Amino acid sequence: MTALSDILHLLITASLWQSVLALSALLLLPALGGVISERSGVVNIAMEGMMLTGAFFAVYADLHLHNPWLAALVAMFAGGLMALIHAVVSIRFRADQIVSGIAINIFAAGLTVFLVNRVYGLQDVGHINTSESLPNIALPGLSSIPFVGQVFFDQNVIVYVALILLVLTHIVLFRTRLGLRIRAVGEHPQAADTAGVNVFRLRYGAVITSGILSGLAGAYLAIGISNTFVPNMTDGRGYIALAAMIFGKWTPFGAFVACLIFGLGEAIYYNNSIIHASPYLLSALPYLLTLIVLAGVVGRSSPPAADGIPYVAGGE
Amino acid sequence: MGTGAVVARPRRRLPVIGRLVRGLAAPLGSVLFAFVVGGAIVFATGANPLDAYQGLLCGGVGLACAQGENSALQISNSIVYAIPLIMCGVSVALPFRAGLFNIGAEGQLLAGTMAATAVGVHFAEWPTVVLLPAVLISGAVAGALWAGIAGVLKATTGAHEVVTTIMLNYAAQWLLRYLIIGGPLQPPGEFSASAPIGSNARLPTFLPNDSAVIVFGLPATVYRVHTGLIIAIVAAAVFAVLLWRTSLGYEIRALGQSQKAARYAGVSMRRTIIVTMLIAGAFSGLAGAVQIAGVDHGMTDKYFSDTTGFDAIAVALLGLGSALGIVLAAVLFGALHSGGAVMQSDAGISSNLVLVLQALILFSIAANFLGAIVRQIPGVRGRRSAPPSGAPATALVTESATAPPDESAVST
Amino acid sequence: MKHSQIRYLGLAAAALLLVAACGSTPSAGGTPSPTLKVGLVTDTGGLNDQSFNHLAAVGLAKAASTGTICSVGGLQCSGGLNVKGDVVESKTGDEYVPNLTNFATKGYDLVIGNGFLMQPAMGTVAKQFPNIKFAIVDGYCTDASFNDLKLSNCMDLLFKEQESGALVGAIAGLLEKAHKAPKNTNVIGAVGGVSIPPVNHYIAGYKWAAEMVDPGVKVLVGYSNDFNAADKCKGVANSQIGHGAEFIFQVAGGCGLGALQAAGQAKVYGFGVDADQKGADASVIASALKKVDVAVYTAIQAVVQSKFASGENRFSLQNDATGYQLDNPLSDGTQLPADIKAAVDKLAADIKSGAQTPPDTIPTT
Repeated sequence: MTALSDILHLLITASLWQSVLALSALLLLPALGGVISERSGVVNIAMEGMMLTGAFFAVYADLHLHNPWLAALVAMFAGGLMALIHAVVSIRFRADQIVSGIAINIFAAGLTVFLVNRVYGLQDVGHINTSESLPNIALPGLSSIPFVGQVFFDQNVIVYVALILLVLTHIVLFRTRLGLRIRAVGEHPQAADTAGVNVFRLRYGAVITSGILSGLAGAYLAIGISNTFVPNMTDGRGYIALAAMIFGKWTPFGAFVACLIFGLGEAIYYNNSIIHASPYLLSALPYLLTLIVLAGVVGRSSPPAADGIPYVAGGE
Repeated sequence: MGTGAVVARPRRRLPVIGRLVRGLAAPLGSVLFAFVVGGAIVFATGANPLDAYQGLLCGGVGLACAQGENSALQISNSIVYAIPLIMCGVSVALPFRAGLFNIGAEGQLLAGTMAATAVGVHFAEWPTVVLLPAVLISGAVAGALWAGIAGVLKATTGAHEVVTTIMLNYAAQWLLRYLIIGGPLQPPGEFSASAPIGSNARLPTFLPNDSAVIVFGLPATVYRVHTGLIIAIVAAAVFAVLLWRTSLGYEIRALGQSQKAARYAGVSMRRTIIVTMLIAGAFSGLAGAVQIAGVDHGMTDKYFSDTTGFDAIAVALLGLGSALGIVLAAVLFGALHSGGAVMQSDAGISSNLVLVLQALILFSIAANFLGAIVRQIPGVRGRRSAPPSGAPATALVTESATAPPDESAVST
Repeated sequence: MKHSQIRYLGLAAAALLLVAACGSTPSAGGTPSPTLKVGLVTDTGGLNDQSFNHLAAVGLAKAASTGTICSVGGLQCSGGLNVKGDVVESKTGDEYVPNLTNFATKGYDLVIGNGFLMQPAMGTVAKQFPNIKFAIVDGYCTDASFNDLKLSNCMDLLFKEQESGALVGAIAGLLEKAHKAPKNTNVIGAVGGVSIPPVNHYIAGYKWAAEMVDPGVKVLVGYSNDFNAADKCKGVANSQIGHGAEFIFQVAGGCGLGALQAAGQAKVYGFGVDADQKGADASVIASALKKVDVAVYTAIQAVVQSKFASGENRFSLQNDATGYQLDNPLSDGTQLPADIKAAVDKLAADIKSGAQTPPDTIPTT
């Protein structure tokens, strides 16, 4: 019971919700990427690998260029490049997209540590100075609003970017011609093709976009939240983002809700020094919570109709 | 996800040998491709690929050892790594056939280790004939129940199995930590491990458990190859029989081809989904129990960093979803795992190169790069009656393309 | 068991026929080396963990003149003991036994296992190779129940981490008591990786000393459950800072770097662990040292000089293997006040002389 009241006390603090939002943004970026990719009909379970690649190259670039913005661009480029591999393999070569996604994740896990070993040997990778990290920005005026200000307007710059991208992705997917085409390609590629939509180009674009977003999340993790690269530092977050995407039924805002749940679980866990419960059981909480929500509330989620099916022009 | 149905083109039956060669060509070619590209990566970062591969070869299969490694030991290490990969590979492959993606082999394996350890510790004084089967069965049952949660949720509420199995993985990892750090399986003291299971609960090794016996120049106890290997092979055989010789297997395959068609054929979707996940979980849970009974003899914190269930996804995919393929793929991955460490200690090249190679193998087999390259060579084009483009592997997950030899014979 | 052994032998012969066909390399065929060979096996944290495993590698490099420890790059091999030093990372816990066994079968003179988590693996392997010498950092060669096997070929390199923890804990407590902390909340924190003995020893000393010098202090203890993901330690540290903590002691290897970063961003103080972590963040005013490199070097030296002694080898203030290191200045740019430094040094002397003994389990209050 004490654990429960500890948690209830936490839930009314602004700092808890501040970190919930910060943690959710980390999951939201790759989840949005997943939504875009799968809406176009390409299954993407490779966010984990793209994030990890982004994290490594963000640190590598920042240590050389001493500029977090350029480093974030490099990370996005690296994530996009990994996505390009996924795109070529699964669109051009029509490989199974799950196989390709798993391969990307294994590839990134191996390549990043291999590179750390080759580039830095047994030395420290190095640390990013605070002045060269992606900064926290307290919006003047707004951040002094009690509670709300701390939660929404005193965040890392990438959190704002993620929230803007959330709205943007929703608008593009559901309110624009481009979004209509993307969804058409994901549901009925043949029909879209007949109507003059370039299926391949849209799919390439969507997959690469997902890589860019995941790469940005990696940069946020490595040079925004942390200040160095540690092997395997994404620690399964790309898979959590995948779960969030499906949980959210392939919609941006649905995925965001799921990200918030995971973020809440993680933020509560961070307070284990003042919660009287086994930290291990506490760690399991967000996952059990998700299971329960899935079982009771969310129900059936089915992907876009052509998700995972390679498109053959004029075929079948 | 990934239910890409490609219609099989009827093809003239090749002689058995020819089929075997053709069947092995793609995987072997993929391995070759991976080693060439991986070698280029090693070379590009300023190291010698030949040194790297000599280490891998030695650590994996005991050949070309430069620094006095014991060949027999390297082979036995590779096999020990392969054993759980076979069972977890089967556990991933079976739901694939039904169009279900079981990312949860890891969690199911951990559930198996927890149950097996609990039984092996708690009933340590039982005789072997009772205790050992009890340990193995409890592991399988725990794995089945763990996966069953995902199956029931999928069948009843439609909750996507990818999400639920990922969640169950994490839940299992944290439950395991709780059990051995401050939880009921932690013996007095401050060690993050369970008490060891009783000696009657252990799977025997093939060699005598006596370090005075010298085999190939080393004490026999060094070779850890245990009878779990037989269990793993039997599991793979059971998988093949289940899939191709039983009505359940027919239903699983029918479900994988098309849910609509399966319903017309009178297949109960709910029942099939649940049963498939239960059986899949049992394979992974059994893998966990075998690891406990055969290798670790107790639950330790090494399971915090276990990745067998994730590696098994790659194994199932590389094995093209067939029993023999999974066994061969597991042996390959086991050899790479074992070889990586020798490569690092002999040549100073990070053992993480192994992951890069595994990924390249997967890319190559999925995309059939080799086929694409071969088709570019003039003169070859006509001889090979390869499908016009794309890959045989396009459908390797669901395997809808490969028409089973006697499908009609087993339909109910 | 007797007749079943014969059956096993039959099985063995059959099972290993394949091996025979491949032909095993004769063990005598290796090139003779004039120097001793030392193999180091890391735990799953890997060599780039920026603390524990890295320090072990540093110790090996100091002793080595050749081997992969030198060729990987990044570390200067000073060849102090003219040995061949090879290193292998364990990617998963599955690899401990094979990695240790490989070095043993290759006739290495000393095989070093780095980390508490490797104890049963060390016990298993050391027992099988009584003629090879083994050393384990942070533990013993044990059986599966973690009972020390007391093998004559196993050297246990154990640290009194609580001593180092106590010294930085005293700094925190004394600064709070002297009202020289950022806000004088009288709350301090420690962020552990996983709740295992080497981690808890540090925290035990930290809490004990802080409470001794400043009886009113509140010590928050949290765990990230991770040794790698820096953002997780940052999260735990931020929570503690949110609850008033003004000193963050990281005991979580690479993960803990995030805790130090959190301290820096919140303008409170951080304490580094194991190595001197002055460079990790400007907030680091001191580090609690655990000179794993010294222990590794000492073990190698013992073998080189034929003075190998099995059993417990304690590394503590006594042999200058624990202690503290003052790092960055306080927030106002001044050094730690002389009276506080004197009090900390007095505590160190008391611990060294045995007048004070920090506990190795976290005190409950």
